[in-house]
Amino acid sequence: MKLGALAVVLAGVSSATADPLRLRGDALATTTSPAGLLVLDGDGTLEDRVTAEAVVWMASQRSPGEDVTGDVLVIAIRARTRDGKRTVRVGRFVSSLGALRPLHLDGGSLRVRLPHEVEIEGVAGIPVVLGLGTGRAWDWVVGGRVARRIADTGSIGVAYEQRRDRGIRASEELGVDVGAELGKRTDAAARLAYDLLGEGIAEVGITASHRHGAVRGELYATQRSPSHLVPATSLFSVIGDVPAQRAGTVITWRAAPRLDVIADLACLRVDSDLAPDVTGRARLRLDDRAAGTVTGELRRSGVGADAWIGARLAARVPVARGVAISTELELVIPDEDRGRGAAWPWGLVAASWQRADWEAAIAVEASATPEYRQRLDALFQLSRRWSTK
Amino acid sequence: MMRLVWIGAVVVLVACAGVLGFRTTATDVFPHRKHVTAGVACTRCHVGVERGGEALHLPDDATCTTCHNPPHDSRPCLGCHAPADAIGRLVEARDHLKFDHARHLQGEAKGNCMRCHVGVADGDSAMRPVMATCFNCHAHDSGRDARTCSTCHKNLAEEGSMPRSHLAHEGDWIREHGTRAASSGDLCQTCHKESFCADCHGVTAPSIPAKRRFADPNAGNLHRAGFAARHSLEARAQPGACATCHQPDRCASCHIARGVAGDTAGNPHGAGWVGLTASENRHGREARRDPSACASCHGGAGEKLCVTCHAVGGVGGNPHPPGWSSRQPMTSMPCRMCHPIGAR
Repeated sequence: MKLGALAVVLAGVSSATADPLRLRGDALATTTSPAGLLVLDGDGTLEDRVTAEAVVWMASQRSPGEDVTGDVLVIAIRARTRDGKRTVRVGRFVSSLGALRPLHLDGGSLRVRLPHEVEIEGVAGIPVVLGLGTGRAWDWVVGGRVARRIADTGSIGVAYEQRRDRGIRASEELGVDVGAELGKRTDAAARLAYDLLGEGIAEVGITASHRHGAVRGELYATQRSPSHLVPATSLFSVIGDVPAQRAGTVITWRAAPRLDVIADLACLRVDSDLAPDVTGRARLRLDDRAAGTVTGELRRSGVGADAWIGARLAARVPVARGVAISTELELVIPDEDRGRGAAWPWGLVAASWQRADWEAAIAVEASATPEYRQRLDALFQLSRRWSTK
Repeated sequence: MMRLVWIGAVVVLVACAGVLGFRTTATDVFPHRKHVTAGVACTRCHVGVERGGEALHLPDDATCTTCHNPPHDSRPCLGCHAPADAIGRLVEARDHLKFDHARHLQGEAKGNCMRCHVGVADGDSAMRPVMATCFNCHAHDSGRDARTCSTCHKNLAEEGSMPRSHLAHEGDWIREHGTRAASSGDLCQTCHKESFCADCHGVTAPSIPAKRRFADPNAGNLHRAGFAARHSLEARAQPGACATCHQPDRCASCHIARGVAGDTAGNPHGAGWVGLTASENRHGREARRDPSACASCHGGAGEKLCVTCHAVGGVGGNPHPPGWSSRQPMTSMPCRMCHPIGAR
């Protein structure tokens, strides 16, 4: 059935198309669940105005907690007028209305650009559930956004979305988003989502960045109120509002033509607990096209008894034409053992091969986690691309 | 001692200069400027460029040796006199851009290669014009408004070019992208397909993206490496962050299947979680800090555990904070779980 859906979408743009139709198949096999996974991804464009895309997958066994062995991730057709002022999208896609959280739905959306730099967008549909589920009646979502460009340097938008689960209001949010280019090297953006049902701020995000030569600095702050983020139909939405905040700065420095150094210095606040959240990362490109890289990372994160330190080393080295060896190693040490193990190492060594439209990779993954004292897994992936041109 | 350290650092830096990408360009770069000022026409070396087509129009050794005879070295000329990635970039441009030299050389640019290849005058080795140069002639505002990148780009998603303007995907882009995309979501769609968003935000995603790109450690940095081990720590550090992509029942279903939650699971909370005095009653404070964590195990039917004590008239008292209000009708879920019809 899913293959049929893919074929129907692609058939819609198969004739008289100016651009090639593309199909990609990825087969992934692991020795742990899911043991086998096949993902088919197809897309095509008709005269630059109609785009169709579908991604379907099948697994050989069920994932933990789920009772499906295959599903549709995306199946959507997008069409627009020649001047790009009207765009319509139907099918299964991720809708993102400005400051509001993205939502995966089956439905349609319409975006229209009006005079005076005003843009309106409307979306309506049914929230996606696993397994092409149709058992839940009266689940729907409707929303819209009005935005206006401010000269050539910014925009402001207001969005509204209401979601019903089984006919009951699960969320009703109002969002405001702002983005601005404050100069040639400085820009800023902010978003705020307000929970109209629980009457409180659900989520706020602010970021501002400035670039000067090889250095880019960013200041950011986020606040989330989890009681406003769980559906209003949940009992956990009524127990109050204790926002969690994070604020900090990210400095990105191109220290050498092939070396990037990134420092993320932040502070977390959860209720009355304050904690640092610090990451240092260096990435060395082994060639100008970054086919080979070495990345090192150190991190200190977490709040109170859940704080931890971690180190990660990742490398990818081309060894022959189309052949690369990669590895990724991580060590996490929690501040408190609590019977979960003093250290959680994780490692993966992989070899990949790419030639023309074929790609293949094989890897061995080993780890020790709170769930498994030791675990060994093997992974294999084979991919093939097809195109009409 | 300090002097030795400095000398050592300089020695290491010099030794690593090549690895870090520093290079002495003077000897290797092809002296375009020198050839131009000597009066050598571009098409004398780049033979056939005016006819367009798929060829890269790079001069071969035979072309060079028509003047440089005998050559000063027996190795191929471009082996030394082309930047390491120059040919790769040309192939990339040919594969991903809709561009035809023949068409351009019929118009105003006829006989004036430097109109686009402005770097020649500086002796720069990077001859490929930047996008801004194209805009000198091709007014782009209407195209930008209509998001019609396909006039020049064959397929931006496949091309994988990272924007170098204020949209640069640098720093912690995974954290930053939500705020940035809020005000310009349709701009993202000029490069990214629907499945790009759905890979992470989709309810029906087949696996985490990192699992499907396990051989490329630079791809899909969210949930990479040992995330499964540390996900509970990360979730508690940023309450509500998981809800950006996941519904709470997604956590609960996996936790129940793995025996972390549900009837067969042991109690992970320990002493002092629920009791009659404030010091023995940590669960209320913890629940307020991160109600989504509670929902990740007690979602759905598990919520009834709370109701046994916190229903109107129950021993648990009022779980709402002072000043709490809601627009939900009392007859709706979840109000009616604790407030039977008629009770306030």
